Amino acid sequence: MNTNWKAKLGDRIPVDLGREIDIFETQMELRKQGKIDERVFAETRLRRGIYGQRYDNSQRHDGEKIQKLKIAATGLTKGPDTVWDAPGMMRIKVPFGGLNAEQMETLADLSEEYSDGISHVTTRQDIQYHFVHIEDTPALMRRLAAVGITTREACGNVVRNVTACPLAGICRDETFDVTPYAKASSKFLLGHPDTQDFGRKFKLAFSGCAQHPCGLTSMHDMGAIARSRTEDGVERRGFELYVGGGLGAVPYKAQLFDDFLPEEELLPTAQAIARVFARLGEKRNRARARIKFLIANLGIDKFRQMVDEERRKLTDDPRWTSYLPETREPGETPLKTGIALNGAERPEGFDAWYATNVYRQRQPGYVATTITLPLGDITAEQLRGLADVARRFVNETVRTTVDQNILLRWVSETDLPELYRALKKIGLAAPNAGTIVDVTSCPGTDTCKLGIASSRGLAKELRQRLSEKSFELDQAVKDLRIKVSGCFNSCGQHHIADIGFYGISRNIDGYTVPHFQVMLGGKFRDNAGAYGLAIGAVPSKRIPDVVTRVTDRYVAARQKGESFQDFIGRIGKKETKAMLEDLMKVPPHEQAPSYYSDWGDPREFTLTGMGVGECAGEVVSAAQFTLAACEREIFEAQIRFDAGDLPGAATMAYGAMVHAAEALIKTQNYDVPRDDEGIVAEFRRLFCDTQVFYDKYMGTTFADYIFKARDAMQHAGDIDKAVALQRLQEAQLFIDAAHSCYNKLIAGAVVVPAPAVAEARSA
Amino acid sequence: MTMEVQRVNVKFFAAAGCGVALDSFVRVFNSWIQGTDGEYYDLADYGHVPAGPGVVLVADEANISIDNNGDRLGLLYSRKRPLDGTNREKLVASVAAALDYCRRIEEEPALDGRMRFRGDEALIIVNDRLFAPNNEETFSALKPEIEALAKTLYGGTSFTIEREQEPRKRFAVHIKASAPFSIKTLLESLRKNVN
Repeated sequence: MNTNWKAKLGDRIPVDLGREIDIFETQMELRKQGKIDERVFAETRLRRGIYGQRYDNSQRHDGEKIQKLKIAATGLTKGPDTVWDAPGMMRIKVPFGGLNAEQMETLADLSEEYSDGISHVTTRQDIQYHFVHIEDTPALMRRLAAVGITTREACGNVVRNVTACPLAGICRDETFDVTPYAKASSKFLLGHPDTQDFGRKFKLAFSGCAQHPCGLTSMHDMGAIARSRTEDGVERRGFELYVGGGLGAVPYKAQLFDDFLPEEELLPTAQAIARVFARLGEKRNRARARIKFLIANLGIDKFRQMVDEERRKLTDDPRWTSYLPETREPGETPLKTGIALNGAERPEGFDAWYATNVYRQRQPGYVATTITLPLGDITAEQLRGLADVARRFVNETVRTTVDQNILLRWVSETDLPELYRALKKIGLAAPNAGTIVDVTSCPGTDTCKLGIASSRGLAKELRQRLSEKSFELDQAVKDLRIKVSGCFNSCGQHHIADIGFYGISRNIDGYTVPHFQVMLGGKFRDNAGAYGLAIGAVPSKRIPDVVTRVTDRYVAARQKGESFQDFIGRIGKKETKAMLEDLMKVPPHEQAPSYYSDWGDPREFTLTGMGVGECAGEVVSAAQFTLAACEREIFEAQIRFDAGDLPGAATMAYGAMVHAAEALIKTQNYDVPRDDEGIVAEFRRLFCDTQVFYDKYMGTTFADYIFKARDAMQHAGDIDKAVALQRLQEAQLFIDAAHSCYNKLIAGAVVVPAPAVAEARSA
Repeated sequence: MTMEVQRVNVKFFAAAGCGVALDSFVRVFNSWIQGTDGEYYDLADYGHVPAGPGVVLVADEANISIDNNGDRLGLLYSRKRPLDGTNREKLVASVAAALDYCRRIEEEPALDGRMRFRGDEALIIVNDRLFAPNNEETFSALKPEIEALAKTLYGGTSFTIEREQEPRKRFAVHIKASAPFSIKTLLESLRKNVN
């Protein structure tokens, strides 16, 4: 079936993306044959956006007992304790949230055919599908590739989706449009060799200004805020660059790396940061492997110094600056002339929607409108309808937002009533964007293996209750933000909300009771300017009362013009906690059994559904990845041989040997020679001259195969079947010996002598 | 033209006046999960999405949902695993499974008879744009099988078959009978005429 989509889409799939998907399909085949280790395959699929999902270990607690799920019992796994046939999650990268109409139509189609009909917008501008079967993923990826979307590096220990303020280019306050920079960064860092050996993920965000929240740069591993300054009468563009921010269990605010990084230095600096992180970042302790810990350990000054040194060592890359002319071109063009909204008849509900969902662009006559998505969810039918709207009213200028909504840009203001009617027809005209009603939530226990409590269940409940009384809410309350995470990992970004919650549990008289930790006073503005204060654990079922009590108190006791953050700071943690104390109590099970189940889930609450999360990916070294790639190459060489392509088979077998040698070099030296001549020479120096690559019985026989193959490649003669077959067999033996050598190196059974390593590094 | 049909979806719509809140089905499906041994993986509640997939019970062979797509509540059976047999046999098997789930819902004690389905209309979708693109060619190829299925269901009662005309949507047909039918009657007709 997958092969047919390949044939049907043909040239519509860009060659590079098509090749990557072919490779992944081969890796799936090799995993089925047991030729790729499950950990390596797990990280491989994660780097293709294919994530695990709750219960994919084939066990689920039904509220009374644990059931063994009837998943095809082939014994095959797609990762540790992850059954091959169990449905999973697919994450689709949408750099800076930019989508066009055709892409939305494709997303709609795929959600119907491979998922449950819902496309879910995440807090990092991605799209996610749930309940996807791994066998469907190559077809899914090809269909996305045909419309210019890749899932590559959507998960795993790599550079994740590059996010940006969705108002970039139309914002009234921005310094300049950061879109082309986000786009260029995304392209440059995707699959870059220097971003393949991290201990954890790396997130990058752009913002056009410092004061608004849209880019959330302070909570990113690397955050860039647009800046300009005049030098010698010439205006120069650059970025205020921050590094080492992050939420999670231990939130860190990003630190200033450079107050003005010239635009031409953006990509090389990102590359240098990546190299320092890859080389020095923690690899074993997953809880301390994000770059924020490395920077905290080194100190920002030392980190900056190391990045500067690394930057000076980099060889010039034309991609660093080749995109810069595009940054001066108009990024998007409007479909219609911008005309003000003048006295047109306003449909029912329009005014409430207009008040919260319409943003006046800096370009006169144009507005951007927010499509409020409940919990970030949109149906296939709605996505197709929105594609029509994007073609009819704007020039397909659409972006996803970190609030899990969608933004339609460049709407002529005069079209608003008609646009509202069109959106209403497809159920997308809900008001209250960016208000307390517009609750953000991660997937939580609905689908995430790490989820402790039902963040979506709670968000749905809060949304419904607040929506019903939104008209009577005080404006100061209406302007607050609520964000919910299912656990401390903070995918729902609870730290930066005025009112945030994250899922925890408490044991009460032998029962496990779902709770949420209450976080108050986080700052969404100023690019996630401050993190909230933990107040205490409240049972899930009392959280709506927490919201009511806190907001009522704020309305009643705030001083003139006092923000919520200032209010919480003024009354202090002790007083705030006292205000909620009675809500923290859990009545006995027999009196109030509803406390012992979660929102939207009638099962009695347990933690048995939790598994090992895949957010942290698998720590698979660059050497292991390269060795796994050799297995695929030798497999493909065999296929060529079987098809009669003897020269192709021999060349590919040699290439596989070179990559195996490269894998071993990576264990000693981060910088690997780029051509086969250099790699073979380095391999000889590090592993053969030192007798590290040495078999007790065969001596240097296996090592000699690569030297022999290189000689043969240089003096290419006719390659007959016997020669090609011998090359294949020798390549397989060489790769096996490389695996053996790698295992011995990792176990410390052999060591490359220090002088040889030093020589290689200085070379 | 030979066309192999897989991933058939079948929807039967709720009878007029059925006012059961979607939340109720979360409890019903949860009790179904508890009553079987690992057959159902999970459930997904999309009750917050207007005109959406409703509440979905996820399983290996097929998903079952109380679906509200198109703003019309109904039971949707979404086959995922391939079926053996001829196209007609696969269509019949999918419709039979959908009807059986409708019967189960109608007889569900927790719903107290408040949920009924109308048997005079069925929506059949082939959830595969590669093998069954939504065009006249697919319709011509599958029409005889669909007519045979409709005759099996409705006997001598006249019926119409309408193809979904929006080309971006999946291949789908609405079968509408000219007289009312109960789910029980349709199940009996299938059993009598197929076995």
